[in-house]
Amino acid sequence: MLGVHTVSSFILAWFPVAHAGDVRAPADVFNEIFTVFLVLGTAVGVVVVGYTLYNAYKYRDGAGDGVDADVERPQMGEIPTGGGGGKKLFLSLTISAIIVVGLILWTYVSLLYIETGPSSQQAQQQALDNAGIASASESDAAAQAQANQSGELNPITIDVIGHQFSWQFVYPNGHTTTGELRVPQNRLIELNVTSADVFHNIGSPELRFKADAVPGQETDAWFVAKQTGTYQANCYELCGSGHSYMTADIRVVTQNGYDQWYDRTNETAGNETGGNATEAGGNESASIESARVTAGSGPAAAQQVITP
Amino acid sequence: MSHTKLYAAIYVVLFAFATIQAVVEYAGFLEQSYWLAFWAIIVLSVIKAVIVAAYYQHLRWEPRAVSYLVVGGVVAAVALTAAASFSIT
Amino acid sequence: MSELPPKSSIKRWFLTTNHKDIGVLYLITALFFLIFGGLLALLFRIELLSPAADFLGETGYNQAVSAHGLLMVFWFISPFAFGFANYVVPLQIGADDLAFPRLNALSYWFYLFSGLLFGVSFFQGQTFSGGWTMYAPLNTPTYLPGEALGATTVVLALIMFVTAVTLGSVNFLTTMYRMRAEGLRMRDLPLFSISINLTVWMMLFAFAALLAALMILTSDHILGTHYFSYQIDGAGITQGANNPGASLLWAHLFWFFGHPEVYIVFFPALGIMAECFQTFTGRRIVGRKWFIIAMVLVALQSFIVWMHHMFLTGINLQIKTIFMATTIGISLPFDLMVFSLIYTMIKGRIRFTTPFLFSLGALIVFILGGITGVFLGAVVLDYQFRGTYWVVAHFHYVMVGGATALFGGLYYWYPKITGKMYDEFLGKVHFGVFMLGFNLLYFPMFLAWETPRRVFDYGGLSTTIDLSALELGVYVIPYEVWHNMSTIGAAILGASFLIMFYNLFVSYWHGEEVGDNPWAYATSAEWAVSSPPPLENFHDTPSYASGRLEFLDDEEVAARSSGSSGGGLAGHGATATDGGTSTDGGTSTDGGKPGSATAASSGVQSGGGALARAGPETALGTGTPGEHGHDGHADHASLWPFIVGIAGFVLFLGLSGIRTGGTFYTSLTVVGAVGVFGSFVGMAQEPFHAPEPLLAERWPYGGVEKMKLGMWTFLASDIVLFGAFIGSYVFVRVAYGWEEWHHLIPEAHVTMPGLINTYLLLTSSFAVVLAMVAAEKESRKGVLLSLGATFALGVGFLINKAMEWDHLFNLHGSEAFPHGWDLTTNLASSTFYLTTGLHGAHVAIGLIMVAYMFLRAWNGAYMGDEKPIEYFGLYWHLVDIVWLFLFPLFYIL
Repeated sequence: MLGVHTVSSFILAWFPVAHAGDVRAPADVFNEIFTVFLVLGTAVGVVVVGYTLYNAYKYRDGAGDGVDADVERPQMGEIPTGGGGGKKLFLSLTISAIIVVGLILWTYVSLLYIETGPSSQQAQQQALDNAGIASASESDAAAQAQANQSGELNPITIDVIGHQFSWQFVYPNGHTTTGELRVPQNRLIELNVTSADVFHNIGSPELRFKADAVPGQETDAWFVAKQTGTYQANCYELCGSGHSYMTADIRVVTQNGYDQWYDRTNETAGNETGGNATEAGGNESASIESARVTAGSGPAAAQQVITP
Repeated sequence: MSHTKLYAAIYVVLFAFATIQAVVEYAGFLEQSYWLAFWAIIVLSVIKAVIVAAYYQHLRWEPRAVSYLVVGGVVAAVALTAAASFSIT
Repeated sequence: MSELPPKSSIKRWFLTTNHKDIGVLYLITALFFLIFGGLLALLFRIELLSPAADFLGETGYNQAVSAHGLLMVFWFISPFAFGFANYVVPLQIGADDLAFPRLNALSYWFYLFSGLLFGVSFFQGQTFSGGWTMYAPLNTPTYLPGEALGATTVVLALIMFVTAVTLGSVNFLTTMYRMRAEGLRMRDLPLFSISINLTVWMMLFAFAALLAALMILTSDHILGTHYFSYQIDGAGITQGANNPGASLLWAHLFWFFGHPEVYIVFFPALGIMAECFQTFTGRRIVGRKWFIIAMVLVALQSFIVWMHHMFLTGINLQIKTIFMATTIGISLPFDLMVFSLIYTMIKGRIRFTTPFLFSLGALIVFILGGITGVFLGAVVLDYQFRGTYWVVAHFHYVMVGGATALFGGLYYWYPKITGKMYDEFLGKVHFGVFMLGFNLLYFPMFLAWETPRRVFDYGGLSTTIDLSALELGVYVIPYEVWHNMSTIGAAILGASFLIMFYNLFVSYWHGEEVGDNPWAYATSAEWAVSSPPPLENFHDTPSYASGRLEFLDDEEVAARSSGSSGGGLAGHGATATDGGTSTDGGTSTDGGKPGSATAASSGVQSGGGALARAGPETALGTGTPGEHGHDGHADHASLWPFIVGIAGFVLFLGLSGIRTGGTFYTSLTVVGAVGVFGSFVGMAQEPFHAPEPLLAERWPYGGVEKMKLGMWTFLASDIVLFGAFIGSYVFVRVAYGWEEWHHLIPEAHVTMPGLINTYLLLTSSFAVVLAMVAAEKESRKGVLLSLGATFALGVGFLINKAMEWDHLFNLHGSEAFPHGWDLTTNLASSTFYLTTGLHGAHVAIGLIMVAYMFLRAWNGAYMGDEKPIEYFGLYWHLVDIVWLFLFPLFYIL
């Protein structure tokens, strides 16, 4: 039961009220399904383990119920055969099959949603409906209204590149940051993830997106952050000596704050290095190629990359 | 149970099939219609393999269980190849 | 062939080929690796006391984590289970020994030396540090710290280990299908033997795929091929990567092996649980038939679930859906097995002995492992659990859950193996401390599940426990607390083994002596013989033909076996009469030592030239089958397996550093290679007799003599090996673009050399068939001519290939490939040389065998006995068949 409290408190902590005015974020999907699994899993676990221990005690030798039972015991040298009770076995199997298959099928709908993203028609409609209700009460009503009017979710697509040992983010205008991802609140953020050296994986425990960063290919993920603040992204695949340090800050700001910042990046078209990578202060190298070569040279080497 | 003549006949067939495979390429069929030629060549290889296994390795005359053992290995390998390749399409 | 010294002699343990001795060797060695891997775990658990790399350092931590995983999965759990399998399975099925005793010893020595090779890697700068899953391209030298020689050694150690596993699989399958007691159908085997049978089937195929992955990785390490790494052209990152499938190729190959491996680890434990539940509840397993069917289903399905380890890698939605479905599918048979064990307790007379407690404990932790596994089966949840401690906690509940049952098995069979009873009180204390440590170690990992896996700097996150509903306030617990609990649990779990070692050690000297069967309601045949059993297991021939275990004397055996398919082969009965006094160990009471072992099996091999009479199991597969009318003594000792093992060790150690070009490693390689070759020849020359039983149940391989069955089983795994190589080629080519691939191949790479080689191989196959026919007709000239032709054609094949390669290597005039087209030029050249090179190596090994057989034929062998030629032919034709696919794939398409 402890775990259940943990989870419900998670929901409360990050999303105190059902934040209207946006799509169903991956974090909502995960928390809902995880809670159901945790409750059911705990219940099934308690019942099955309890029943097992109960039987073990009940049929103990000496004083148990099985001592006087009129049953045939296995004998030395017999060709093995089964005990009775096949019906009971299949009943139990059926029940467990229904629970397991039912649960998985239920989550499959959510999987399709996570896979196709809120841009798919149905989800889009739902998002728009929500947006319509919410725009009045929200501070960033303008952004929502815009989404509502244009009839699309207006996602921001950001390229994510894993390096040993930092995350690099490339915005649509080519602006590049390392160790820090700045996104507006309540916007659909689409990530195209790859790696410049080894297998990495980027994910955020709070925002609940995760994607393998595989060299030579792209994977994608999306999320919506409903609360401003700073979240952490981690690397979830062992990638070398600095794996532990390979984090990035995700700064969720208001739409206005984001717009101001983004406009400035257009002017300067410069690069920024922030977050953990700065603190760790590693070597800086000018290209991906050298990032690859210097791999493993030090913890949390931060690379600035000049993009075309 | 001498099968010398049978073995010789099979040898001729195998030789011919290998030649046909090469001819398919030399005649330019691969350029004309790659995938048709591709499957023709693969099917020829499969037929050759089955003939060698059935006669030279005399699986025909062994208990079926030996063939199942071999088929098990082949199925595992094909499953790996097919599913892995499909996964990235 | 040597005489087997008594158990008290150190010499015996280097010479023995007896399955019980080897079982004991496996058990002890596996426990050594348990300590090895366990100490590494303690080291990094200490590191994790605080969130920083302040104890082992960053690379030290990664090495400890990686080596812990590899050692526990490969060198501890499976070999520990196979210690029991070695000891118990022949007894349970009513056999004297395994089908190929020397091969069994060879498996063991390869296992031991591969583990020692792993140990050496720590002293070559650093050992492998890329995690036990060895994801590409972090597993290649480019990305590994330092010279990465230690990493190469680990890869080679794994290859050596896989060799041991493959030999063992072939051996166990042949044994179980050829040497079962009369009347014992496959389904009638005790559940432990059935679980081992299915485990071995999975091993045969799964490890072949791993072998392919490891061989390719070795090539990347030593030869510089680029299967698992890639180069980026210019500034683009995803565009222009010349090997877009590199990382995923490893993941596919590894998990195609890796998921069956989970069941390979767990099935023997399941078998032990079933045995202990039946014995200690005094109830037959409920739904035994369905239990077996469920295991068979799992074994089959285990090969079609591997991509659930790869849900986030960008594989398409269709395949994710398919693998989600197969994953749920595979969980259901386990539900059935769990319920079956639970219901078996009903109306039982449960005695809470140490083995039962461990089995029950294993069941309970497995239930928790199973439930948390269902979470992972939901793909949406799996995405978030990926790379976190949820996965770590889950698979430790499953795998260490399996190990829990194996420790139960150790207590269960300890009296059988030693003839002494362990101390029950200390056993129960061990169980209590073990379970406390286990749950304190792994359960907090579920609570700290958000921690990324393999990370030492886990700070900054916290778990909130909201008890405000109970008016107890809200608590924020740093993950550090959970991790510290885990570390304490690890220390307790580790300490519990001190109790076990003390108990087992002291009991060996001072324990109470036990009779044949210390456990009421035990049913299987190992409990029907003395503890420990005699050298050749049964004094008379066991039979279940009457519906229960009986022992037949020689006359009955002779009467029943006359006219049976095995007729004329050396029988068990003969051995039993004049070997009847051969008690090794036994229950004699003199001193603390097990009885003075007198191996009565000093079989005298009746004359004949050594070459013409090599034993029925020769490593080269060219031996004669069981000899007719010999005097019946089975051999139990040979030093050759040990020598091959040590030579292999030297060879692999040399190979690990060969790329440095240093004298040290080069000379080790040369010495090792010569040693391996020489000791194999020595082993093939040694007369060694391992008789097949006169009377045995052999379904479904009745007409298939054991050498032939062994050869076919080996070839089946070879098919998977080649299949995985070809599959790798197809995969990287699909990832690159099937038809764009042609740009990677020079014009000079033409069809003709391949076609000529096809002709050569086809003709050589035909020549082998003719040799077999000639041997049947007892034409020595015919045999020599045909074998000579085979040899010449094979050599021609290799010469033609060498000329072709030489030409392609040196294409200096070529515009597209100014530096020639060699192994490292591009992906197409890497796949071409490596795949056809593996095939070429098979041809070369075949040629050595042909040369050996030619010499034997010269001395008059095979006349009227074409079987060795036939078995060699099976191998040679397979090599031919493989070429039939390589030719179009690499020369035409």
